[in-house]
Amino acid sequence: MIPGNKDTRDGILFSLPFLIVFVLFMVYPLLFGFYISFFQWNILGTPKFLGLQNYAELFQDAKFWSSLWHTVQFVLMTTPVLLVMGFLMALLVTSKSPLKGILETCFFVPYIFSMTVVATLWAWIMQKDFGIINQVLGLLGKEGVSWLTSDKNAMWSISIATYWWTAGFNMVLFTAGIKQISKEIYESAIVDGASTFQSIIHITIPLVKPTTILCLILQIIASFNVFGQVYVMTGGGPAGSTRVLIQYIYETGFSYFRMGYSAAMSYILFVIIMAVSVMQYVFLGRRND
Amino acid sequence: MRKGLITMAVLLLSGAMLFASAAPETQAAEGPIELKFWSLFTGGDGEFFNAMIENFNASQDEIHMTNDMVRFDDYYTRLTTALAAGTAPDVIVLHQARLINYVPSGALLPLDDYVSDEMLADFQKAPLEACRMDGSLYAIPFDVHPIVMYSNKALLEEAGITELPQTAEEFVEAAKKVKETTGQWGSLIDNTTGTYKAYTLTRLFVSLVNQQGGSMLTDDYSAAAFNNEYGYNALVWLQELLNEGVNPNELDYDAAMNMFRLGEGAFYFNGVWATGTMEQEEGLDFVASPLPPFMGKSAAWTDSHTFAIPVQKNQDPAKVEAAIKFMDWMTANADQWALAGNIPTRNSVLEGEAFNALPYRADYAAAVSTVVANPPTPAWGEIYETMSDLLESAVTKNEDPQTALDSMESTVNEIISHY
Repeated sequence: MIPGNKDTRDGILFSLPFLIVFVLFMVYPLLFGFYISFFQWNILGTPKFLGLQNYAELFQDAKFWSSLWHTVQFVLMTTPVLLVMGFLMALLVTSKSPLKGILETCFFVPYIFSMTVVATLWAWIMQKDFGIINQVLGLLGKEGVSWLTSDKNAMWSISIATYWWTAGFNMVLFTAGIKQISKEIYESAIVDGASTFQSIIHITIPLVKPTTILCLILQIIASFNVFGQVYVMTGGGPAGSTRVLIQYIYETGFSYFRMGYSAAMSYILFVIIMAVSVMQYVFLGRRND
Repeated sequence: MRKGLITMAVLLLSGAMLFASAAPETQAAEGPIELKFWSLFTGGDGEFFNAMIENFNASQDEIHMTNDMVRFDDYYTRLTTALAAGTAPDVIVLHQARLINYVPSGALLPLDDYVSDEMLADFQKAPLEACRMDGSLYAIPFDVHPIVMYSNKALLEEAGITELPQTAEEFVEAAKKVKETTGQWGSLIDNTTGTYKAYTLTRLFVSLVNQQGGSMLTDDYSAAAFNNEYGYNALVWLQELLNEGVNPNELDYDAAMNMFRLGEGAFYFNGVWATGTMEQEEGLDFVASPLPPFMGKSAAWTDSHTFAIPVQKNQDPAKVEAAIKFMDWMTANADQWALAGNIPTRNSVLEGEAFNALPYRADYAAAVSTVVANPPTPAWGEIYETMSDLLESAVTKNEDPQTALDSMESTVNEIISHY
């Protein structure tokens, strides 16, 4: 250590403002949530100790399992599409197309809107009786589609809105990944007579793999945490067929004020996301080194 | 170094001030008392409420009321967390059915010591008594708002229907006739989740079960009591309207209201709170009437908005007094609230000219004696929401009624066991 150097102290001081907020609003609620998951508590009254009863109940609760399944459905419906879309957008944006500047803006703009704006907008577009899509279909003499009011379509409709909203973020990550690939590799491929398509398959995709893994992990975590779009667009309907786990956690906690049970479910979701992330790290991340 | 510490201190202080701003601010000696209120009125009656607040502020200069609109679906979430954090506004509005969720934990101030007997004597007995728990008064009823039937006069005339249907069979016949002769929908009962859940289905179901002499829960609120012929008849009738093709499938609350306003359906069911909105619709010739006794006797789902005062850490007596004055003024001038369609709770208003000059309202008021109160159990909120989901599924997917009722019964019993 150099005499007079107060790096450590300064470092702590500088991170203190963040740390205080972090502890107060992240660490403390996390620990408190775990603690309260062993109680029956309605927020206003005195908590009553239940032991593991909340966790035991959860395994019997059909609504918990159906909500978890809806969440998994959403993960499966959105993750692959969002990765492919993000990658294709990035290819366009990094291409030599004269339109690439405009395209980049178009692709990314939806992402800067807030969730409520996006979800409300799409809820109106997809409204069954007055929405613009069904109005247009009506003008063409076709029957309107139950975008949000049929349990077969509702989750897909929410997914479509999500594609539009968040694909741009993956594009940014992929664009950065693609730009890191050395130009010389492509040039020598051209010299060897490779087509653009071959370059993408044999150069871009393999070399962009670290980005793909990053996107995949981020996307799965984000999709597991889906709530806002569902809550605004369908309210979990029709008849609870799109109710996702976070929504069920929210309803139990903040509509029916069963905070303990709600906290217990949150911890199960936490364990699931953790397990998925670790698995991805082990199976996909390792081979990269 | 010195500088660093000072910067740190400033940062920490400004952080502390952020939190401090949530604490109750001290009242300025001069000027009117500032009161805060959160409104949940977003169902067509919001503008009438806002106008009333303005009139209240203009009527005197001691108290100034500020009013924030909160999305209905999020209202109780915000309210409860604010109560837990001690940051609730000075006066709150609660549905009567929700009092049971707040009174036992001591979140509401008992009002007995603050309200004069003369004021209370002016109130209708039933809604006032509903605000009492264990002998103490916790809220002042602002209105009663049962579900009613709206009928489009022009469509009925075109279909040659001269009298409003009074039984379940007559209703289906009338709805069919409208569909056949005018090509418009016979009935517009919303049955899917949109901005709101399919509450109308639950409200009708509750009404119909009670019209036959049944009830939703057992007398001690410990179990579901609708899985019998009463529930069966009610559910089958709701399904029949879709099976006969006279009611649209997958219709949400907002769409149903819009379609009725545009004259695309003959009968529509909603709370009295929609009356004012309908009256503002140009070119809509309609009549509103108490829910007909479709399945026997008269009975209609209802709820009631009530005003209450949250318990605060440092309760300011001046603010409590001001809040009581506000409640007194609002209930005594509830003929303005009746413009939206809601039924006032004070005799002086119900007998007053202003109220009786409004169309339909007197009929509503007469029907108040037949309204069905919500079961006073903390589980009711979850039961009500869950029933809306299950009825939505049963009606829109035309599920076997008995299977659907069995599943509703077991779900409701399961919910009750958690409270």
